[in-house]
Amino acid sequence: MTTTAPPGTDAAAGPAADRPGDRRRFGLSGRSITQGPGLVFVVPFLLVFVLFLVWPIVHGLWMSFTDSSLALRDTAFVGFDNYAEAFGDPDVWSSLGNTAVFTAISSVPLVLIALAMALLVHSGLAGQWVWRLAFFAPYLLPVTVVTLIWTWLYQPELGLANQFLGTLGMEPVGWLSDEAVAMWSIAALTVWWTVGFNFLLYLAALQSLPSTYYEAAALDGAGAWRRLWSITLPQLRRTTVLVAMLQVLASLKVFDQIYILTKGGPNASTRPVLEYVYDVGFTGYRLGYASAVSYLFFALVIVVSLVQLRLFRQED
Amino acid sequence: MFTRFSASPPTPAPGAAPGPTRRRLLRHGTAAAGALLAAGPLSGCASPAAADASALRVWDLFQGGDGMLMDDMIKAVSEGPQGFEVERTILDWGPSYYTKLAMSAAGGRASDVAIMHLSRLAGYAPGGLLDPFDLDLLAEFGVSQKDFAPAVWSRTQHDGTVYAIPLDVHPFIVFYDEEAAGKAGLLDSSGELAPLGSPDALLDAGKALAEATGQKGILFGHVTDTAQTWRQFAALYAQTGAAFTLPDGGPPKIDVDAAVRVVDFMQRLFDGRTNPNNLDYNGAMAGFIGGRGGMVMLGEWELPTLKKSGIPLGAAPFPQVFDKPAVYTDSHSFVLPHQDNPDPARRHQAHRYVAEMVKQSLTWASAGHIPAYQPVIAEPEYAALDPQSSYADAGEVAVLDPPNWFAGAASNFQNRMCQPLQSALLGNTSAEKAVRQMVREADALLRQPNPVA
Repeated sequence: MTTTAPPGTDAAAGPAADRPGDRRRFGLSGRSITQGPGLVFVVPFLLVFVLFLVWPIVHGLWMSFTDSSLALRDTAFVGFDNYAEAFGDPDVWSSLGNTAVFTAISSVPLVLIALAMALLVHSGLAGQWVWRLAFFAPYLLPVTVVTLIWTWLYQPELGLANQFLGTLGMEPVGWLSDEAVAMWSIAALTVWWTVGFNFLLYLAALQSLPSTYYEAAALDGAGAWRRLWSITLPQLRRTTVLVAMLQVLASLKVFDQIYILTKGGPNASTRPVLEYVYDVGFTGYRLGYASAVSYLFFALVIVVSLVQLRLFRQED
Repeated sequence: MFTRFSASPPTPAPGAAPGPTRRRLLRHGTAAAGALLAAGPLSGCASPAAADASALRVWDLFQGGDGMLMDDMIKAVSEGPQGFEVERTILDWGPSYYTKLAMSAAGGRASDVAIMHLSRLAGYAPGGLLDPFDLDLLAEFGVSQKDFAPAVWSRTQHDGTVYAIPLDVHPFIVFYDEEAAGKAGLLDSSGELAPLGSPDALLDAGKALAEATGQKGILFGHVTDTAQTWRQFAALYAQTGAAFTLPDGGPPKIDVDAAVRVVDFMQRLFDGRTNPNNLDYNGAMAGFIGGRGGMVMLGEWELPTLKKSGIPLGAAPFPQVFDKPAVYTDSHSFVLPHQDNPDPARRHQAHRYVAEMVKQSLTWASAGHIPAYQPVIAEPEYAALDPQSSYADAGEVAVLDPPNWFAGAASNFQNRMCQPLQSALLGNTSAEKAVRQMVREADALLRQPNPVA
């Protein structure tokens, strides 16, 4: 903007530039100048964005109305057939249900445990770096490593989890083989693996809270619990909204750990909708149908996001 | 992974004059320049696309021990003046392999030769994803129909045309600890597993083995696995003599009574006491290697791993307990993925390559696979392979997945059959309910539109 300013009217000469007429002139000419080189800078991003996000989204939508197959070049328009099939497909509903269950049972602990861990670390525990490292380290592991570790932990005969229960005199649990337990096992793994990210967000937020509030509260004689309830948690509200929203979206997208750990079993009790899409599309070659299921899920994710946004906005 | 095998350079003619002459120098100079040109793409940074177009491009899914044997076989056929230039691409085994194979064939620019499980043929040949073999051409290279077991050969065709040349038969079998089996009185006079003949005999064998080992009898890893219970069920079901067919458009033809009888027997066999019912694949392997069971039901491809364990290892075809012998099997076969404009010379070479490779089956058999190429089985060197030769008969009573586009190795079909079977073995559902669910799942798959035809 300053590049267009006539000599003598630099930023220091603010009042002069504040006149309405000047501002319009500067604003207009400023935009036309800065947009030139600015566009050049964003074009690479825009290209990638259009090529790898916008175009696939549009193309996928088109595919959901065709009988597109991975193994054939000919496709035919089939209208809403795929959507009609999806609505009547019990596997779509059961896998959507599994995704919802996973989201519910993983998101809540992922937010609460992250908050608890951040509060603990922030409370001035000795050896802070150890705790930070310990809480965040699992997040750095690739999914394959995580599932390999947990496969052995959950191993029915030799696994540590059942050995531990044995020493307590308890019956072994079918961690991955019991339909009622498997999803919880996956949620536990996911919490252990990913809670570090939320923990980090909370820790950063805690560290940016002004100490003056606490000093004032201490002077007024507020105890630790009082300070937590009346200062810390309300101050963390925005972070909590962010963490919760990101977490719900991340949990809805669950795929990798389940695909590697149980392949959706036992008896499809852990198969999330994205695995069903993968199975139908890439193992079963039915890309058109898989796209339709994806779009149903996409619509659902948008609805969930909007509802969340509305809820939090009301609270704010 | 991408490996390149070059044919060895021609050996100099005998009696060629030693010492440099002007003509020799010239000739060598030209050869060297040619070699340099040819070697260009060999340099580290060359992409596969830039590689020598004359090399035969082959795809397979063999890693680990199998992968090394495949290397040895390719090396063997690459040697000599008649050798091949081979560019080998190894892809990860599993559903993704078949996705990639189908996509490359649909694109019309696939590799020259690829490995495919014979059970997947029905998903590839009818839709034009494979090109047929020219049997006359193969016969010129010394390989023809009579060299293969009929049970396997019958599955290489679609509409009377041959689309696959089998390399091996890899059945689902049993391995046992010879010492424990001896103690349990399960061996015949020649030290091999004696025939059982009835469901009760196998149940008793489990108990006897559990006593002999002081731990468990028969191990079977199936939890979270997408093929194991199906392999076992398919073998036992075929033994009842009933047919499992998946006619296009449905409904599936399944003898529900026979299926329930089989699942009920599987539940009794893996009761959780004499034989554990909740093992996963690695758990069963580790258990057997660690001496925690007398017998394990696995594919023969685990032979190299089990051999390394030092257990006195015996192997036998899957025991016949119902009316007729049958063993669940699949077969790694060579196929010609579809190319839009195949070069006749390369096709010719591809045929010769396949013929040469099946003749190398003895090497392949060392990993435990039964050679599909029968002349190799007849060789004394094969008979000397122990315990491979003890289950060689399995190829003759081979039962593969019912042919349909969605069935076969690493398919959704196997996965969906395994889920209710797993539940039944774990005691979460009854045999009747499991079978009803299997019929429902098969019916749902059959009612889908066929995406490959």
